[in-house]
Amino acid sequence: MPADRELHLGLMFWATGTHQAGWRHPDACADAAYDIELILEVSRTAERAKLDFVFLGDRLACDPSLQHSNPAQISRLEPFAAAAAIAAATTHIGVVVTANPTYSDPYGVARNLASLDHISSGRAAWNLVTGADAAAALNYSRDQHWDTQKRYDWAEETLLIARALWDAGDEPINHRSEYFSIDGPLDLPRPPQGHIVLLNAGTSDQARELGARYADMVFAGPQPTLAKRKEYYADIKSRAAKYGREHHVTVVPGLTPIVAPTTEEAVALHDQLNSLILLDPEVEVSELVRAGGIGEGFKRNLTSASAAFGVELRGNDLDAVVPAETLARVSDDGRRRLAEITRLTRRTADGPDRITYADLVHATPQQLSHVVVGNPEEIADEIQLWFEDGMADGFNIYPAYVPGSVTAFTELVVPELQRRGLFRKDYRGRMLRDHLGLEVPGMR
Amino acid sequence: MRSGAYSSSATTVGYQLSGMDLTGLPSELVATAQAAETAGVDYLVLPDRTAARPDGASPPTALIAAAFLAARTDEIGIVVTAATAYHEPYSLARQVASLDHIGAGRVGWFADSTTDAASDANHRREGHDPARNAAARAQEFVPLVRDLWDSWEDGAFVHEKDTGRFVDPARIHAVDHVGAVLAVRGPLNVIRPPQGQPVVFARAADTPVADHADVLVSGVPQADHAFAVVPFVARDEAVARELHAAAGSPAGDADNAVIVGTPEQVAAQLRHPHVLVRFTTRGQLAAFTELVLPLLDRSAPSGPTLRARFGLPAAPNRFAPTQDKELTGNAR
Ligand SMILES: Cc1cc2nc3c(=O)[nH]c(=O)nc-3n(C[C@H](O)[C@H](O)[C@H](O)COP(=O)(O)O)c2cc1C
Repeated sequence: MPADRELHLGLMFWATGTHQAGWRHPDACADAAYDIELILEVSRTAERAKLDFVFLGDRLACDPSLQHSNPAQISRLEPFAAAAAIAAATTHIGVVVTANPTYSDPYGVARNLASLDHISSGRAAWNLVTGADAAAALNYSRDQHWDTQKRYDWAEETLLIARALWDAGDEPINHRSEYFSIDGPLDLPRPPQGHIVLLNAGTSDQARELGARYADMVFAGPQPTLAKRKEYYADIKSRAAKYGREHHVTVVPGLTPIVAPTTEEAVALHDQLNSLILLDPEVEVSELVRAGGIGEGFKRNLTSASAAFGVELRGNDLDAVVPAETLARVSDDGRRRLAEITRLTRRTADGPDRITYADLVHATPQQLSHVVVGNPEEIADEIQLWFEDGMADGFNIYPAYVPGSVTAFTELVVPELQRRGLFRKDYRGRMLRDHLGLEVPGMR
Repeated sequence: MRSGAYSSSATTVGYQLSGMDLTGLPSELVATAQAAETAGVDYLVLPDRTAARPDGASPPTALIAAAFLAARTDEIGIVVTAATAYHEPYSLARQVASLDHIGAGRVGWFADSTTDAASDANHRREGHDPARNAAARAQEFVPLVRDLWDSWEDGAFVHEKDTGRFVDPARIHAVDHVGAVLAVRGPLNVIRPPQGQPVVFARAADTPVADHADVLVSGVPQADHAFAVVPFVARDEAVARELHAAAGSPAGDADNAVIVGTPEQVAAQLRHPHVLVRFTTRGQLAAFTELVLPLLDRSAPSGPTLRARFGLPAAPNRFAPTQDKELTGNAR
């Protein structure tokens, strides 16, 4: 590991907040997804804290039934449009746009990315995804979502075409393959960063390989255990080593910090947010289905919790304390979940503060990202541990609600990270590549 | 555009910028847009070409330029050009809707059904050859985009903290379009734009899309069209003629009239409710702004949106049950 390793921090900007009920917090801006002034202000806040980038996720379908489980996934501003507005309102921070090659054409993606890089003077990045949504196919005149192999073959070729177009100047590229016939050249000069900074995310073998081979940054999804986090990190690095890129590609998991000046206040905020989630109605056990969409997992009710913990929980008052005898009988996976509850709420099976049925319900669905609850030192400890213990090179910070969680992180945690010498006090340059310590690649 | 779609009192002047007008540093683009805004230009049409330009111009895509300029201006309308052959309707609908949110109702789309060989050669992929079905695709495209803009009723984005109702699924509609060329289920993943329906422009001669546009543009003055002109203007008429000659003495056609003369002579030919001006050089853009624009007789717009500048009525939502169906059928 190089000695001059630097921590990287991005803002995962779901304007609705990444906590499912974040928008209902009394201080939240409930319609932030369409409040452009607020979006720009939050971007400036992130820039004042010297964050590496603002990250704009995306999906190409709209499912209103996600309104309680995952409201931020229903709708949002189109990422290129939002990114260009953010670029106009900021000067240093990188802007990451999610673009899915499965449903776009290489020439169009290459043009928009190059345009964003020019207009932002070198601050554009591309989060290349191949799509979590099969439903997108139906919005793009197709019968079905392609299988994983075809999506990643197509994505890899799209990436190579885009890079060829960026490099080619005013020479044609005349790309011919089974999938594409693209002459070029692009109508734009080479972008300031040469190649637009590349991020990717994904769980499949193909996604990991694409990231290891081509990405500057791999955005890691949540892993249930410490061992799995280390395994994922090591897997990306060892795959990257095949291409001589293990010191080039950084691994950036998501992290949801619930932070307040004291631990007690942070726990109270976490409880408050969870209390605002509308629970799913109870169902018959036979009707138990996994909830769909990004952040897939069980529903929030005692029926799902019973299945997740392996004990009968139905019929109890949610605010009641769960008897220690019941908690002693949970499954192995249930024990892992109990440890998570204690980590987040500080409540235990038998201590002064006891686990409630509501805690079990909220520990049932899979989390979108790793949540940490605590005071600024506790959050910084966790970040430092991951950074120094082979789990992360940086984090994509998920704000539970907007703008409060962004200001809380930038005002409370970033200064602590700076005090520890983990995070920059100022930008070294103007381009995103400068923040990431990456050279502008030479022409091919 | 239906005749009578505009109120006759509206008088608009738009600038149709060229690739060259938008080639330069980001600060220069902002300066161009802000100068036009300060001078009282109603809207800018941003170019978009999906292939290298013969003149070597290298503007950002209309989408990126529009969002960037929307964030740096307050009033001026911003119209993005997009060709139906080289875009997907779902993507285009959400881009324009998003721009309309960013620009607080100042945005329009100049639809273009035409294809060209250079652009075709940049967009061939499995299952898609832009040169095939271009007209049929364009015919389906604009009404489909309009359906997608309406797929969220106003107010469907509830975001009511007390009840926890974030959206009202009953007011969010699939569009279920299945045409000869395009199939889109919807709903759009952007709430209804502030204008409901952003203003759609088309060349009057562009048959596949003209039927569904709000504003038709032509080089022949017609009462209910925006009159498209290319001016060659100078204080001295002889200088204006020299400028015209230096540009190769272009003649007008169905799409653009060419007007040569002094500021007064040019202004006299622009006594028309809606004028869209295109420039051959940046010098002409500056000269027109300085010399001709102040001579044009213009009334203040009736509201801050681009629709208001054209006197277009509020757009009813085709999916809203309470709307007058007849009205919905007429308004586009
Ligand atoms: C942390 C993380 C974030 C993701 N964000 C997006 C996103 O914004 N949009 C999207 O379409 N897919 C997103 N995905 C999905 C993946 O990028 C990938 O396309 C999808 O998981 C299918 O590929 P896979 O089988 O490799 O996982 C995300 C995945 C992860 C792990």
